[in-house]
Amino acid sequence: MNTYRKILREGLWDNNMIASQLLAMCPAMAVTATATNGLGMGLATTAVLVASNTLVSSIRHLVPSSVRIPIFIVLIASLVTLVDLALNAWLHELYKVLGLFIALIVVNCGILGRAESFASRASVPRAAFDGLAMGIGFTLAMVAIGAVREIVGSGSLFAQAQLLLGPAFGFLELRLFDGGALLMVLPPGGFLVLGGLLAAKRALEGARRRKGAVVAQSA
Amino acid sequence: MSAPQHSPHAHDGGSVGRVMAQVMLALTPVTLWGFYLFGWPAIWLWLITVGSAMLFELACLRLAGGGRATLGDGSAALAGWLLALTLPPWSPWWIAVIGSFVAICIAKHAYGGLGQNPFNPAMVARVALLISFPLEMTQWVSPAPLFSGLGPDPVAALERLLFSTPIPDALTSATLLGHVKAEASRGVDLLASVPALGASVTDGVGRHAGSLGETGSWLILGGGLFLVYRGVIGWLVPVALISGLAVPAAIAHAIDPAHHLSALHQVFAGAALLGAFFIATDPVSSPASAAGKLIYGLAIGFLTWVIRSFAGFPEGLAFAVLLMNACVPIIDRFTRPRIYGHGPAAGRGA
Amino acid sequence: MIGHQTLERLRPTIPFQAAMLALTVMLASAALSVADRVTRRPIAEAVAGDTRASLAQVLPPGSFDNDPAADVLNTSDGGIPVTVHVAHKGGVPTAVVLATSTRGYAGEIGLVVGISREQRVLGVRITHHSETPGLGDKIEIAKSDWVASFAGRHLSDPEPAKWAVRKDGGVFDQFAGATITPRAVVAAVKRGLALYRREHEQWFAVRKP
Repeated sequence: MNTYRKILREGLWDNNMIASQLLAMCPAMAVTATATNGLGMGLATTAVLVASNTLVSSIRHLVPSSVRIPIFIVLIASLVTLVDLALNAWLHELYKVLGLFIALIVVNCGILGRAESFASRASVPRAAFDGLAMGIGFTLAMVAIGAVREIVGSGSLFAQAQLLLGPAFGFLELRLFDGGALLMVLPPGGFLVLGGLLAAKRALEGARRRKGAVVAQSA
Repeated sequence: MSAPQHSPHAHDGGSVGRVMAQVMLALTPVTLWGFYLFGWPAIWLWLITVGSAMLFELACLRLAGGGRATLGDGSAALAGWLLALTLPPWSPWWIAVIGSFVAICIAKHAYGGLGQNPFNPAMVARVALLISFPLEMTQWVSPAPLFSGLGPDPVAALERLLFSTPIPDALTSATLLGHVKAEASRGVDLLASVPALGASVTDGVGRHAGSLGETGSWLILGGGLFLVYRGVIGWLVPVALISGLAVPAAIAHAIDPAHHLSALHQVFAGAALLGAFFIATDPVSSPASAAGKLIYGLAIGFLTWVIRSFAGFPEGLAFAVLLMNACVPIIDRFTRPRIYGHGPAAGRGA
Repeated sequence: MIGHQTLERLRPTIPFQAAMLALTVMLASAALSVADRVTRRPIAEAVAGDTRASLAQVLPPGSFDNDPAADVLNTSDGGIPVTVHVAHKGGVPTAVVLATSTRGYAGEIGLVVGISREQRVLGVRITHHSETPGLGDKIEIAKSDWVASFAGRHLSDPEPAKWAVRKDGGVFDQFAGATITPRAVVAAVKRGLALYRREHEQWFAVRKP
């Protein structure tokens, strides 16, 4: 049963794109040097994900299964290009921060994965909602990785947030200390923090399972 | 660890703890010499590195629920000790603690603890520190021996360690490798830049800037030979590593002495000797067979020379060791010894 | 609308599959070409705005009445391409901005150098770089005011031998732990001034009506 509650739960936690499916590793490593970049990438990906899920679901009866992959890829690539052009034209400051990475959304296998495993089999509203839930889950994981890397690596949090979200969000920017462990903002830091994130998620789930088992026994 | 059950194995009653104790014994002379050369800051730094390594070991063992299984065998203390020997001797305390954390918690226990780590923990920690804190990790000092009045007294040294007081300019200095790299980058060739520092490096006594483990070259060599004599380490890896470094260095130096250090400088400078005898010989992260050890040692030596000569970093041993650690499974795969009673083809099969 | 059963029958056939694929690609191409048309002007304006903004940082306000971003000459200096923007006021050239690049510690550093007719540096800004964060990135004006130390300099102020970082006996500060980056930038600015001295008459001659 794909109730909306379950879809939300899957996207945010149980089947989180980064922390459970281990998809979208490329952006998860490449853009998370700061929490702001993680957030920006997450939001852009969410937009593409909702649109692609909606589109794929609405044509799911027309698409023959033998050519579905090329069709999905054409759709996703076009959507990403549209987002790229639109950002460049109308949100140019943000584009200067994220521009290099927008093209990476195309190779984000998470999007094709959702099209293939969910949107092509579900009704349009459900598919759109799944895109939203998966996108938010992805964004949260990206921000979490980015926040840890930024705090440990450069001693700040949400640096240049106003560039992404507008001047009203300048208050998000925190300066904790000077310096920091450079390794964390360089590529190896992405691997280290992702490993930590996966371990933490498993530890939490393990603890919850054990607690559940104890409750079940005493009942 | 229990003795193997079936023949043809024989057990001589050795243990991990005994091996570690002998390695520590071999490291003692050079460490004491380093303490004398660099004074109280170096002594405190060593204590903090080894102490924090053991604390992290205890914490990891607790977290894994395994009690104190490998705390007493000295492997954590040795990893901390080796790390301390590669740090700038007057580093602040947090360098030591972060280094120990990386060595023990990430490089050792995240992979499953003693015997499971594919990478040498002390080298992982050193590389992580070097990349994370390039400033602190290149703050070398000239020797300021104990009782000479040049260095701080014990209390002042502890204060310096805890509050990271900047090192007085008069005492800062560069290592030989760092010096020639910096000079070369502004176009001064080796013929001009080496004489100032070179002699104090090759006499092997260590009256030059560097980490604890790269100054007393003769003492490291002596400690290493002691370990070979005791059978704790094989002679193959050290010999292969030193030849892998010295042979290309000698050839390049003969062709172009203005841009390539001599083989003697290469071997005595930096961490080459420490690495050859104490780091590359780590049984966990090196290949099993003789042929494998030969390839492994040669490749580390050669890569060290390549990195020192052509890369941005002045010293490359730690990088070379880690790169070759990563290759160990492949080396082992292709140098599997022939199984007794089987043809060479059978031994090589999948 | 085609009925459900017709669709079921058609889907496995090769012509239908080919047609669907072709249709998707056509629609996607159409959407993209429309988007390209719609966004071309705003993007060109935004990019020109970027150039203008970086030029304005190294040219004193009010010193020009043309659009230096559009007034472009291309030349090269020792194999490195240099873009020359000429600033005019009342038809007279007042300054130039050189957009050039140099090799830093970790790849290319792009920079713009504003030079007055008195052959003095009006300002230097770094446009892009990939130097180590926390060490070499102090060349950015957002991280440190180091690049401001070029303002007012001339090829003979300091004397040519002192056009270097302190470590090499010059007058410009290096950064703790990073010498290669500032060394590269100092050399690039000096090269820019020398290029101006050699070629500025040609540049201005092209512009004469």
